Amino acid sequence: MKIRDITIRAGRSLRQAKARTILTSLAIGVGAFTIVLSLAAGSGGRAYTADIISSNTNVKELYVQPKPDVNNDPTKPKKYSTDPTMSYGGGFSVKLLKDSDIDKLNKIKNVESVTPVYLVTVKYVTRQGQDKYQASVATYNESVKVDYVAGSADGIDKKGVIIPDSYVEALGFKSPEGAIGKDVQIAAEKGSSSLVAPEIKPFNFTVVGVYEQSALAVSGSDSLRLSKDDTKALYDFTTEGTAQHGTYVGATVIAKDVADVNDIKADIGKAGYEAQTAEDLMSFIFQFINVLQGILIGFGALAVLTSVFGIINTQYISVLERTQQIGLMKALGMSRRDVGRLFKLEAAWIGFLGGALGAGAAILVGVIGNPIIAKALKLGDINLLIFEPLTVIGVIVGLVLVAVAAGILPARKAAKLDPIEALRTE
Amino acid sequence: MIEVKRVTKTYGKKDNKFVALNDISFVVPDGASVAIIGKSGSGKSTLMHAMSGLDRPELGEVVIDGRNILALKQKEVDRFRSATMSFIFQSFFVQANESCYDNVSLPLEIAGVPVHQRREKIEDALRAVELLDKKKSRARDLSGGQKQRLAVARAIVNNPKIIFADEPTGNLDSVTGEVVEDLLFSYNKRNGITLIIVTHDPDLASKCDIKIYIKDGKIESIKNKSESQQIRTKAPIKSVKLKRQAKVQL
Repeated sequence: MKIRDITIRAGRSLRQAKARTILTSLAIGVGAFTIVLSLAAGSGGRAYTADIISSNTNVKELYVQPKPDVNNDPTKPKKYSTDPTMSYGGGFSVKLLKDSDIDKLNKIKNVESVTPVYLVTVKYVTRQGQDKYQASVATYNESVKVDYVAGSADGIDKKGVIIPDSYVEALGFKSPEGAIGKDVQIAAEKGSSSLVAPEIKPFNFTVVGVYEQSALAVSGSDSLRLSKDDTKALYDFTTEGTAQHGTYVGATVIAKDVADVNDIKADIGKAGYEAQTAEDLMSFIFQFINVLQGILIGFGALAVLTSVFGIINTQYISVLERTQQIGLMKALGMSRRDVGRLFKLEAAWIGFLGGALGAGAAILVGVIGNPIIAKALKLGDINLLIFEPLTVIGVIVGLVLVAVAAGILPARKAAKLDPIEALRTE
Repeated sequence: MIEVKRVTKTYGKKDNKFVALNDISFVVPDGASVAIIGKSGSGKSTLMHAMSGLDRPELGEVVIDGRNILALKQKEVDRFRSATMSFIFQSFFVQANESCYDNVSLPLEIAGVPVHQRREKIEDALRAVELLDKKKSRARDLSGGQKQRLAVARAIVNNPKIIFADEPTGNLDSVTGEVVEDLLFSYNKRNGITLIIVTHDPDLASKCDIKIYIKDGKIESIKNKSESQQIRTKAPIKSVKLKRQAKVQL
């Protein structure tokens, strides 16, 4: 018997038990839906991460932190050390970098520059005749993607500031363009001033640019961007005379050339620090996404496993129901192999139907869900669910194979059926 | 020619041993119509199964056209059966959910007949049993007599050499039963195929060239129609006219 004829007959007998076929394939469909969706979320997540990282980091950049304590067990007391640390609740703490560490980093071969992370707390930002608003300050980093509504980073070195668009109205500007070239005051508290009578000093800055809060920006969103030198000045002003002065959570090292990044990373490691390249950061996040994706796929696989028993059950019932038909076909000379194939192909159809239904539903969810997710998370034009045609086809093919495997036992039962016995059944 | 040589079939073991066929031998010439007659449990169905290679008796030979089908491998028996034999059963065994066309198509598919050759054969077979107008109807919508005619169409579609009919009229009333009988015998005479009917109906048996009486797994007697009649059967006979459709559906 030709495979074509067997396939058609298999499809026909499934159509004759529509409800059962659909219910059985729905089980495998749930698995397909979960797997396809998690694969899509995985590739979407990776693409999203890659996008964030490439638009927020410079490939020549390394982020350096002190090596964490070997003994980081929060339940045990820690040895006192004069090195600066930052404590969190629950006995956790991180070591901080000192100025001497920054100098050490500067001496490493092929290092272009080292910028410590300045944590600056300012009191408020205001403009003549306007209210005072709370604000945060971050260092302008040219490798971080910024979407300008007006102006640019030009002139930031000359006491310039880039403000987020949300501050335009608050500071009394009519439009983002109207803010360019105007002065704003950022006030900070002198670090050594007394708690009772804090000395608060306003600093004058000129607005050079207005940026739109980017969906991709992870750091410094919603903060006023100042040049490195200005940030340092503010940092010194707010921390001089306190224990915080001269300590940093980390530092950014810029390599002279991309090719040097890995050597520098090794040298920094030897010097007793931990360095992360943009690549490391990406692979770390990828790993995280992969684990999440793996868990989701695991759930899908569980659903598929359950559906396997469904298929076996359905096919067994089908064999019992069609005992006469099988008997007749064997009496007419259909070989065992072909009878077996008939039932395996029926299982394959169920697998295909389930896979296609599940994948279709997942894609539908993606098409409907992508704009909603993007809107909710303010991602712009980014799709968080990316369906790769080859992956989807691969999943469906895989499920067809699983279904065929599930159909083997019932198919064997059908193939072994004694036609005489089968035709005696009334 | 079918030669059945010393076929013995037993069921069970030792104390429960039951001899279904006991040393059966006979010869059926090509184109003959044979009735295997016996009560239920006499072994007549087992004999049919053995002759068609569905069952495998432990002793004896069934030689069809010079080949002992009991010595063939399962695959070869399947192929042989699909190419040379077909069956008609008491309870029709037509596939209720399938159209008449698809029902008749099954033996062709099993025999691997190319798609483009099928339509003509199927339509010829349906025409022969006067069901061509029903080719798209589902088999479940047919009356009993029509179902058995459909089974006849399925049996003749691939031009078999031998048709086995197991109580073909057992589930039919006498009028529709006669229509099916006429169909089978006319096909037997016209195309020179061998017709082997298993039955306990003496009227049906009396229409056959050879009557083999089976009792308790043994041949009780073999009766041939008179020589003159047998010779007459070799001559072409005009097709037996079907009874009117209305009558069939009574």
